[in-house]
Amino acid sequence: MAKKTVQKANNKQFAGVLVAVAIIGVAALGYVLTHRGPTVIIVDPKIPAGAAEGHLMGNADAPVQVLEFGDFECPGCGNFANVTEPDVRTRLINTGVVGFHFFDFPLTQHLNSFTAHLAAACADDQGKFWEMHDRLYAGQDEWSDLTDPTMKSPLPVFRRYAKEMGMDVAKWEDCVTTQKYTARIKGNQAEGVRRNVAQTPTIIIGNKQVNGLTYDEFKKLVDQVLAESGKAKADSAKKPAAAKKGD
Amino acid sequence: MTRRMIIAVLSLAGVFLATYLTLYKLGYLETLACGTGSCEVVQASKWSKLFGQPVALWGVGFYLAMFGVAFTGTLARYVESRAIGVALALMSGSGVLFSGWLTYIEVARLHAICRYCVGSALIVTALFVLSALDLRRGAAASSDPTHPRA
Repeated sequence: MAKKTVQKANNKQFAGVLVAVAIIGVAALGYVLTHRGPTVIIVDPKIPAGAAEGHLMGNADAPVQVLEFGDFECPGCGNFANVTEPDVRTRLINTGVVGFHFFDFPLTQHLNSFTAHLAAACADDQGKFWEMHDRLYAGQDEWSDLTDPTMKSPLPVFRRYAKEMGMDVAKWEDCVTTQKYTARIKGNQAEGVRRNVAQTPTIIIGNKQVNGLTYDEFKKLVDQVLAESGKAKADSAKKPAAAKKGD
Repeated sequence: MTRRMIIAVLSLAGVFLATYLTLYKLGYLETLACGTGSCEVVQASKWSKLFGQPVALWGVGFYLAMFGVAFTGTLARYVESRAIGVALALMSGSGVLFSGWLTYIEVARLHAICRYCVGSALIVTALFVLSALDLRRGAAASSDPTHPRA
């Protein structure tokens, strides 16, 4: 009888703890899934670019200029490049709404990242920066696992990419191994530090600085910039008219 | 609570932990809440996949199986079942071995420690200890003529 009572109490306690763990677990997962949107901080969009030279896709005179500070080895950047960027290119860059600038921001904990940035910068010499950019992100799983410093360099993988892209591989490899664009990459990185970039991908659209975002979130920020610039234009058009009336 | 009940509770916690890592690996989460950045290194490594699927997804399967077996073992009909005790000990034992190998990879090959992987390794170790104690209790009970087993 006493054994049964103890067992009943045990079962009750067990059910209570199970339900509590299930509720906490579901709530925590629900929270991270619903709050995965970008954290927005306000920055001054008029900060001059300095000596940094990003890689431009689209029109430099497009009404909205977007800056990305990215690391080729960062999974979040890979996700942005492979999932969000194709839509951004088709719907916003190719239509002339957005000019997209990629700035190198290799993180120190990603041991192969700097070589990857050199590989992309050197591909730019042959007009294939964006092709290499896409290939590096699409193949991230293939080379980013070479994180052990005692393992071979990721260069053979990048060399294969260069070959597949039909590049002059010898010329490209000479550029990579002599680290021709180290200063340029470091310049882009310094620009990110100057803009308080602390993680990748960091995307700057107008006065909003965000960390990774979906196409819909991206479009929303672009629309905001367009609406603000439209309003500014309307205001400046009104001012001369008002001044004339005053005369 | 009995040991099997604690095993079931810990396994359920493990299900959520492994699901979180799986969601990140599959791209549903942009970042892991991990201040050191080491989680990304571990999650981006070639060892984060097994037979083409994220290791964390296998972890979800493992914890679900542990939960199912432990929960069944708490039902009145199976409370004294030695088969359940053996299954729990074997499963958690293989879990400890696999976790140990993953921890070795983190320390010796990647030089990066992911706090979630450490959390999972601790849960698996606790599951193994509890399963071993449960099995020992079962063995002691079966050799005790005053304690008839089902």
